[in-house]
Amino acid sequence: MSPQYFEDIEIGSKRNAGSHTFTADEIIRFAKKYDPQPFHIDAEAAKTGPFGGLVASGWHTVSMWMKLTLESRQLDGNPGSTVRAGVSPGFEDLRWLRPVRPGTTLFYTSEVVEKVVLKSRPEWGLVKSRNEARDGSGELFMSFIGKGFVARRS
Amino acid sequence: MLHFEDFQPGQMFDCGTYAVTNEEVFEFAGEFDPQPHHLDEEAAKQSMLGGLSASGWHVCAMAMRLACDGLLLKAANRGGSRVEETRWMKPVRPGDALRMEIHIVGLSETASRPEIGFVKMEWRLFTAAGHVATMIVTPRIAKR
Repeated sequence: MSPQYFEDIEIGSKRNAGSHTFTADEIIRFAKKYDPQPFHIDAEAAKTGPFGGLVASGWHTVSMWMKLTLESRQLDGNPGSTVRAGVSPGFEDLRWLRPVRPGTTLFYTSEVVEKVVLKSRPEWGLVKSRNEARDGSGELFMSFIGKGFVARRS
Repeated sequence: MLHFEDFQPGQMFDCGTYAVTNEEVFEFAGEFDPQPHHLDEEAAKQSMLGGLSASGWHVCAMAMRLACDGLLLKAANRGGSRVEETRWMKPVRPGDALRMEIHIVGLSETASRPEIGFVKMEWRLFTAAGHVATMIVTPRIAKR
């Protein structure tokens, strides 16, 4: 697949980014460094916490979206796009809807929802995507609206 | 221990600084965000960011750590389930030190869960030179 420019991207196009099963060890390792709330780092303390057990940091489940999305682009044979198209000005409306417990497998998807032509940056366009993580039965665990700059052809 | 009733719009909590090391930038990006502008000095110079920078997701993770140490672990904190908006405004370079201020911007309650309230916060991350690098707007849940 040749590199995709802003003009090639279609609203409504959807990508399956792949899946990940979260283990207790990696949940605790991430959270000890970045999010040491008791319900993310201590299975015993977590029992009396708001989730009734150990759950993954939300920043861990959303960082996994980035990892899997990049891996799925590599599988498309499109790694070159990552230099020109990987930069993001931020995101909106991130929701962590259900706790991610050890053993949970999440399937990640992205759907293009909006394309914005930028007057201030004529060589770039902004692509907005609705990104989701669901379990095997289709329950929604996480969603957010991602934004990324993509190079324009002309 | 701070509860919902202890928060008011206009309050500011200084969460101190986080040293952004080269090693950690590579480690995080290698695991979660292996794009050339986070890992490859030469490629990074050619990118929009003009040099090596930490992954935006890494900046969020560092912000979370600052929030935990600076406020959340001292509060009757019940987690958070939403980030309204995050703006990555300036690149965060390896070797920089990020300072964070948490500003309380709103309070809300919900009739269905009388034991908790939502404390809406703006997390402002500054580079050592004093530029705003990232802004995160997030309601956190506090016990009453």
